[in-house]
Amino acid sequence: MISSFRGQYKEVWRELLANKISLLFMILALVLSLTAINTIYALGKSAEKQVLEVLSNLNFGKDALLILAGGQRFMGLTPTRTDTLKLEDVQSIERLTGVKLTSPVSGGVLEVRYRDQAEKIRVEGVFPIFTLANNWQVVLGRFITEEDLQGLRKVAVVGGDIPKKFNLKQPLGEKIMISGEYFIIIGVLENKPSFSHFPLNERIYVPFTTAQRRLFNRDYLTGIKVLLFSGEDLKSMRERIRSLLRQRHKINFLAPDDFRIITPEMIVARYLATAKILQNFLLAISLVSLVISGVVILNLMSAAIEEKAGIIALRRALGASCKTIFFHYLLMSLNIALLSGLAGWLLSLGLMYLISVFTPLKPLFSWLTFLLSFFFSTLTAIIFSIGPAYRATRVDPAILLKSL
Amino acid sequence: MTNPIIRLQEIRKTYVIGKVSYEVLRGINLEVYPQDFLAIMGPSGGGKSTLLNILGLLDKPTSGSYLFGGIEVSTLKEKEMARIRNQRIGFVFQAFHLVPWASALENVILPVLYRGDGIKKEDIRRAEELLARVGLGGKKHLKPAELSGGEQQRVAIVRALINRPILLLADEPTGNLDSKNSREVLGLLKELNEEGLTIIMVTHDPEVAKTAKEIKYLRDGVFVES
Repeated sequence: MISSFRGQYKEVWRELLANKISLLFMILALVLSLTAINTIYALGKSAEKQVLEVLSNLNFGKDALLILAGGQRFMGLTPTRTDTLKLEDVQSIERLTGVKLTSPVSGGVLEVRYRDQAEKIRVEGVFPIFTLANNWQVVLGRFITEEDLQGLRKVAVVGGDIPKKFNLKQPLGEKIMISGEYFIIIGVLENKPSFSHFPLNERIYVPFTTAQRRLFNRDYLTGIKVLLFSGEDLKSMRERIRSLLRQRHKINFLAPDDFRIITPEMIVARYLATAKILQNFLLAISLVSLVISGVVILNLMSAAIEEKAGIIALRRALGASCKTIFFHYLLMSLNIALLSGLAGWLLSLGLMYLISVFTPLKPLFSWLTFLLSFFFSTLTAIIFSIGPAYRATRVDPAILLKSL
Repeated sequence: MTNPIIRLQEIRKTYVIGKVSYEVLRGINLEVYPQDFLAIMGPSGGGKSTLLNILGLLDKPTSGSYLFGGIEVSTLKEKEMARIRNQRIGFVFQAFHLVPWASALENVILPVLYRGDGIKKEDIRRAEELLARVGLGGKKHLKPAELSGGEQQRVAIVRALINRPILLLADEPTGNLDSKNSREVLGLLKELNEEGLTIIMVTHDPEVAKTAKEIKYLRDGVFVES
């Protein structure tokens, strides 16, 4: 049986190679759309992976939550109060089992001056735990300490891009003016990869107490970063924190939340929303092109079968059953599919490397796209060759005898 | 008396094209015994090819009974018919019908491929012996296009013999050949018949028909006296 299959397999290849132009076009038709599908899919995945990498680098992986003051925005406005998130809330969240640590933040965009240069910069009041919560260390000097907090010291730790922004060659010890108050730079944070709309490295961090009293003059927070012990269920934790905060803020059951709990997935989804739409659109186009490839295969296979009707009739006369003939042509299209699948995948890898030269997107090597490529090519080839293969079984062996 | 290989009783074949029906065979009765060499002659449109198609299990009769080796084959399923074609019947065609991309040897092996039990060493040895016997031992790796008409027909005959059939059906086997090659091919058929192979040959050339032991005339769908 195996030897008989091998014989038939050889026959299939002989027949394919007998018409190289037709073979080339069938493969080409599939390869083009497969390359497109693979590349688009892989680049989408790669973008997602990059966003996730950035987030996990900030300790915002799967075990983290972010609580922001103010409820859901409606047309850019927050209909709820934004001044209800307090340090007492943080303490009660910390008491929940499963919570590893919390890092409250109070921030805003303020005018920052150095000599005659002024910039609008996001300034955040934080606790020493901030570095741990965000996996973010200083490369120069030191971070904010308990003593800074207790003494309401006017010290600042700046993001990695700030010295460049203000042209500071020796930032440590320099004085910058934030909202009319002088702050001494005591540390510079390492550079973190971040998204273009969210320049983390252009922020300034000051002691929480100093920020509340001297910069913002308020007693509420703008956000809390919560880290959970690994293995905690993010969804249920989110619900627990939500009901705790609703209870603490005395929100009646009809009123909306006056805070937002952000999970890493939400950030990923938000950053990829536009990309996703574009990607889906392109994938849809590629799928249409795959159908077109299928039609090309359908045509070429039909033509081949019409052209080889004599040989098919001969095979039938020599004892090939309809099943054998059907299998023969299905095997043929399967061969084309596998060859195209491989070529499409390799080409898409090449294309991605090329794209990565010109864009920040990184090429993604994935066995999933490999399988995807084979899946789509096999699916297309099989679907569109069932018709011609069936027609081949309908070739009448009697046509061999022409002498009526 | 031995049993006939073939027994046709009141075989009829009607083709319906649109609303018109053509009765091509109108009650054929025929018995063919082992080692017979029968030539069927007759004018074009007389039903020779239709009869050969039915004899070769390439087509089914509209009515009548066809016993092949004692088995009623007119009602067999397509798969069983294919198996009998493969193992019991050899075909030789006017236009040779060799697979163009396969070598002489591969063409000969083709029926073995459809036998279903794989190509064995003996099969290849037998194919080579048969090719050598018809004088093509040195040309077994050539493609059909590199062979002359006579050589191609000899390859086709060897192909028909590879699965040791009991019946050889030949449709105008010399129709595309010159007289020298015709003589060679007919000589080969005669030799095979003498060795015990039953042959039915369709031709409209009386000279060719003379090779056979018996000649029958088919006209308007029935056998007639010449």
